[in-house]
Amino acid sequence: MAIRYSIVATCLLCLALPARGADTIRQAFQVIGQAGSEGRGSAAASQAVEQLLQHGIEILPRLFEHMDTDNLVSANWCRYVYQQIITRELAKPTPQIPATFLRTYILDSKHRGRTRRLAWDLLDHVEPQFRQQRLPQLLDDREFREEAVQRVLEQADEARQDGREADAVKQYQIAFQHARQSSQITRAADRLAGLKVDVNIIEQMGFLNRWYLLGPFDAPEFSGFTRQFPPETKVDLAATYPGQDATIGWKTHQTPDRLGQTNLVQAIAPTREAVGYAYAEVHSPVDQEVQLRCGGDDNMTVWVNDRQVFARNQWLNGTRLDRFSAPCSLQAGTNRILIKICQGPQHKNPAVPNNWSFQIRFCDATGLNVGLKILKPTAAEIAAEKQRK
Amino acid sequence: MRHASVPPSVTNHAAISSQPPLLRLIGLLLIHGCLGNQLMSSSSMAAEPWTQWRGPQRNGIASGPSPPLTWSANKNVRWKTALPGSGISSPITWKDRIFVTAAEREHPDQLHLICLSRKDGSILWQRRFWGTAPTRFHATKSSMASPTPVTDGQFIYAYYGTGDVFCLDLDGRLQWQRSLATEYGRFENRFSATSSPLLLANLLILQCDHYGPSYAIALDKQTGRTRWKTPRPATWLSWSSPRLVPSGDTQELILCSSLKIDALNPMTGKLLWTIDGMRRECIPTPVFGHGLIYAVSGPKGPTLAIRPGGRGNVTGSHVQWENQRGAPYVPSAILVGDYYYLIDDQGISTCLDAHTGKRSWQKRLTGAYTASPIATDQFIYFTNEDGLTIVLAAHQDRYVEKARNRIDESVYASSVIDAGQLFIRSSRHLWCIAH
Repeated sequence: MAIRYSIVATCLLCLALPARGADTIRQAFQVIGQAGSEGRGSAAASQAVEQLLQHGIEILPRLFEHMDTDNLVSANWCRYVYQQIITRELAKPTPQIPATFLRTYILDSKHRGRTRRLAWDLLDHVEPQFRQQRLPQLLDDREFREEAVQRVLEQADEARQDGREADAVKQYQIAFQHARQSSQITRAADRLAGLKVDVNIIEQMGFLNRWYLLGPFDAPEFSGFTRQFPPETKVDLAATYPGQDATIGWKTHQTPDRLGQTNLVQAIAPTREAVGYAYAEVHSPVDQEVQLRCGGDDNMTVWVNDRQVFARNQWLNGTRLDRFSAPCSLQAGTNRILIKICQGPQHKNPAVPNNWSFQIRFCDATGLNVGLKILKPTAAEIAAEKQRK
Repeated sequence: MRHASVPPSVTNHAAISSQPPLLRLIGLLLIHGCLGNQLMSSSSMAAEPWTQWRGPQRNGIASGPSPPLTWSANKNVRWKTALPGSGISSPITWKDRIFVTAAEREHPDQLHLICLSRKDGSILWQRRFWGTAPTRFHATKSSMASPTPVTDGQFIYAYYGTGDVFCLDLDGRLQWQRSLATEYGRFENRFSATSSPLLLANLLILQCDHYGPSYAIALDKQTGRTRWKTPRPATWLSWSSPRLVPSGDTQELILCSSLKIDALNPMTGKLLWTIDGMRRECIPTPVFGHGLIYAVSGPKGPTLAIRPGGRGNVTGSHVQWENQRGAPYVPSAILVGDYYYLIDDQGISTCLDAHTGKRSWQKRLTGAYTASPIATDQFIYFTNEDGLTIVLAAHQDRYVEKARNRIDESVYASSVIDAGQLFIRSSRHLWCIAH
């Protein structure tokens, strides 16, 4: 079936609603907008839906306007109307899909990603080439970045397979710079490494990978999370403390993990019912509001400049990339980062490994590093300690 | 919106309790007969629609005739229909219709509810919604469409791993929706929520166990409003589905979860009793028969046979028997007559005597298993992840294999039988196997 669309369709839509009809439509959308928690407003929304279904494709812009809301319940009522109107329209011999409106809507990043994506799915019915043309240009788009990077990675792979190495390197570097998803970042990094080009995943993603570590403190059963040990009062890198089995002091460590995960079983000790601490000082170029993204096994507490910014009391929870996030303020200059990681009892099943690890980074809302540099421990301190060992 | 009275397939002790004594006795006998492990021959009973997870009695057993004993990708296939997205939820049936949920793998906030014709597999309607808060999910074995929907014959209630509940009528008209993730917090889950809702009287009951603040909740099935909500602060992540069991002249709501089993009053959400001893992750749904709750907890956990009716912590008093071997991690077990069958994820099948817990036989089947077994009065069907279904004779104290049937597509969803039709949800299609 040949589907035709009109460039002027959007303009005609505005003219297609007589004043009285427009009032009814406005009221119907108002009713739907009040649907919310506890199923509230469902009966009224159901009636409003019936009114809107009396109309056709001419209310499409209104539907997009009202789907573009934080109230997902209301948005879904509108989507229910949208789906039926679109289904009816596409079944017509000459559906009038407002391509101009959709193109503009898709490229306007002020709209929510889910409604832009819906608009693009509809536009694909009439202008599939638009996706092909525009997607590679959306490398910094908050909704379509991942697909755009994927397209670049595929182009890079083609260039590499065709023997166009310089092209491939350029494309992989573009992908690496714009990617925010770890699998895309590591894929681009791996490909670049294969072409003898080094990139730094740790810096790109903003992981902290050099630490002063202290532990294990004895914390029977599950007492570690609530029990306070000396570093929570004062970080004294020269101090020693009674540990679980011996006197303990701070020591430096740099994780070899490419995604910055620090394995405390290796770096401190294979232990259980214990608490460990990690401390670092980082330089921020400016005062800035950032995201702390972290994960830890077992539970984890994070202080920034002596202020607790994250705490999670949960045992056996696994360290996973970006599992938790919390807003966080960094000051220009030096910032002190202290982390507490608990280790619970051995699982009843001895085959279950006793992981003890954490991973932390500071980034912007997209997941990009925010220009931090690790001040302490220095690379020289790490090297010196390695040499001592 | 109009709602009919509770259909026969939805047990309703509360309603029965208000009847005169004789009717009440008859009602209870009927219910306990149904819940009591199919004491009547199911092949002699009229087929009940498969209205929910694990079928009409939530035990994996179909009443009515068995589907063909043998099939393949080309034999005894009445139809197969490509499904959008992905999902391991089971389809449910009502009269001439089948309902199935799906979610998109690349964009897991994109949810689908699809209605198909049982006659020819054509899609009668399809609804798409946005989910509130997608979680992590298994690359192949789960998606946001892991919970199976439920119907009372008038409305369909679809629950997704995104923390959203939708109520639609059988023609796909939206009635109400709830975003539990917005109202009570996002689920934190590494394999997506999988627990399937159940209906009791006017309640839609959900077990929402996750890394964060877990809870059980009952929604008014007509309006979606919360009737009760019970926080479960000591409960960790689990994927098991709730079920009802009779206890005296009332019912208990059984919630299998990490490290313990809780029984609640289903009308109020109040905790009745607890049993310890489960493993830290519980996926299978318990079954009921011979007056016992059969619960299993993996990985490599125990199978417990429990007498309902306790109060407080009844670990020391209400465990009838316990067996430490053969427990699955994902597939639910099944009770057929006097035998309790388990299939673990690696394909080791175990048959226990339902009364004593003693092993009757154990055998390695072919392949790995995610789907739960289903049965008729004659046969038990074990479908592995490669789409191979091994059919065993039921009611045997030894391993009696009747057929091996292959469809050559991956299967992770539990299958469904209704009126001699077998519905298999593969990774790509919904298959109808029938004569």
